[in-house]
Amino acid sequence: MSKIIVVTSGKGGVGKTTSAAAISAGLAKRGHKTVVIDFDVGLRNLDLIMGCERRVVFDFINVIQGDAKLKQALIKDRRLDTLSILPTSQTRDKDALTQEGVEKVLNELREEFDYIVCDSPAGIERGAQLAMYFADEAVVVTNPEVSSVRDSDRVLGLLNSKTHRAETPDSEPIKAHALLTRYDTQRIAKGEMMTVEDVLEILAIPLLGVIPESQAVLRASNLGTPVTLDDEGSRAASAYDEAVARLVGEQVEMRIGGEERQGFFQRLFKRTA
Amino acid sequence: MGWGNHKPAERRFPAAKQSRFSGVQFSKSKGRPEAQVTTVQPFQIRGRFFTALALRIAGAPDEAFFAALDTQLQQTPRFFAEAPLVIDLDQVKGTLRGDELVHIVHKLRSRKLSVFGFQHGSKEQASAAGSVGLIELFGGREAPARAAARKESAPAAPATEAPAPENKLITTPVRSGQTVFADRGDLVVVGPVGSGAELVAAGNIHVYGTLRGRALAGVNGDESARIFCQSLDADLLAISGLYRTNESLDASVRKQSVQVFLQGEDLRIEPLGNPQTRDRSAQ
Repeated sequence: MSKIIVVTSGKGGVGKTTSAAAISAGLAKRGHKTVVIDFDVGLRNLDLIMGCERRVVFDFINVIQGDAKLKQALIKDRRLDTLSILPTSQTRDKDALTQEGVEKVLNELREEFDYIVCDSPAGIERGAQLAMYFADEAVVVTNPEVSSVRDSDRVLGLLNSKTHRAETPDSEPIKAHALLTRYDTQRIAKGEMMTVEDVLEILAIPLLGVIPESQAVLRASNLGTPVTLDDEGSRAASAYDEAVARLVGEQVEMRIGGEERQGFFQRLFKRTA
Repeated sequence: MGWGNHKPAERRFPAAKQSRFSGVQFSKSKGRPEAQVTTVQPFQIRGRFFTALALRIAGAPDEAFFAALDTQLQQTPRFFAEAPLVIDLDQVKGTLRGDELVHIVHKLRSRKLSVFGFQHGSKEQASAAGSVGLIELFGGREAPARAAARKESAPAAPATEAPAPENKLITTPVRSGQTVFADRGDLVVVGPVGSGAELVAAGNIHVYGTLRGRALAGVNGDESARIFCQSLDADLLAISGLYRTNESLDASVRKQSVQVFLQGEDLRIEPLGNPQTRDRSAQ
């Protein structure tokens, strides 16, 4: 049974697309047939992060409007044959998305893939609502700061009310997980940012993972490589790998705070050696 | 003819504590002398709910229309006498002409119905309504259709009798942007209430979790309503129109289990389970 996972946040710039790319690559690395869809019509970025921007011919909107077949629009990743990307249109806007069209494409994808990862646009308007509407699970990407946490809380409210599962009686509600990104232990120690406990106390959902603030993430994005496919072996990449393991149901111990600092020193040590 | 619960006064509370003219009164708080201006005012502005009747028009105002109306009025004449009335144009937005609307208003007024507002009108209808002194109303929820006969005995006291309480229990977190209404009783939330969420109750509000959003108890004017919460960090607390924002909360009650209640014109916040304070409040 395939699963639709929406990566969402409400707030922009918290790392939705980076996380969607890293999670889908992480799932594919584990052998699951995975497709990642860009719902950010008009501001497409996923293709850049996945490093396939030059290979886009047809897109999600073409498929919805019947101008292309799904097979023509899907781009197979060159690094992992279990991973596909469904890019979106850069020239259209969110109004080009229709609920029926999205449902039709998702149903078609369900037949072929184990995991369908929907990369939501920022905001809570049409694009974001359609990205989450058919989801089975949600990864709510949050930075440890108040505005991001409040927006995530708002999105959780929408997941519980404005989605197919919420509107269908007797269906399980969407399983939502929190993914804390850009977690900077030094700034948190100084009291400049919120701790994991603070965030979870407000959101009241299970924690999927904590991704430390890392240079590796930006570098990987600029190179068009999901950070989980990066060879650098960064702490961020392993944190994403652990989050993916938890997403598929494995029990992995959460490593945050002290151990992260240790990792930092280890890295320092490795560099000077 | 349907019941409509209309709100001539603003229900939403402005965040700025200075806005004394926006339908609410800022509560005095102990130890904050800068907020005492309200006592020297010769008047108070308070948010208040009133109940009005809504006449939902569905057809043309012909002879049959008024005949049917008269039949309805004759069944319970005292109930309709001088009753505040709002015309709901939702179903005739495109069909009813402005002059027809004016005609209806005159006919209603000649039947001693106090028409004062309208809803859901088109532009043309709005200007016609304005010419006969109607104001446009937004929002409004259906009130329960109470037995008209019961009102017969006390027509002089409109909308003061309390309907049977209907409490509401929420066992999931209340998220930012969500509003939960308990318009006829208490509201109990088992779980956190996020910043930017809103709880509104005619009666008491109980939160078994952290209250970070807004809590408005006693919104229909019940001054004995209280707010209870396990951990207080509310954006706004209000009882029967008197409110306080987060910045006016005393440090001693923050993150504490508290109850909030009205004592005269003062919105008091006191820790729960503290015998000393309990004794003081009993005096």
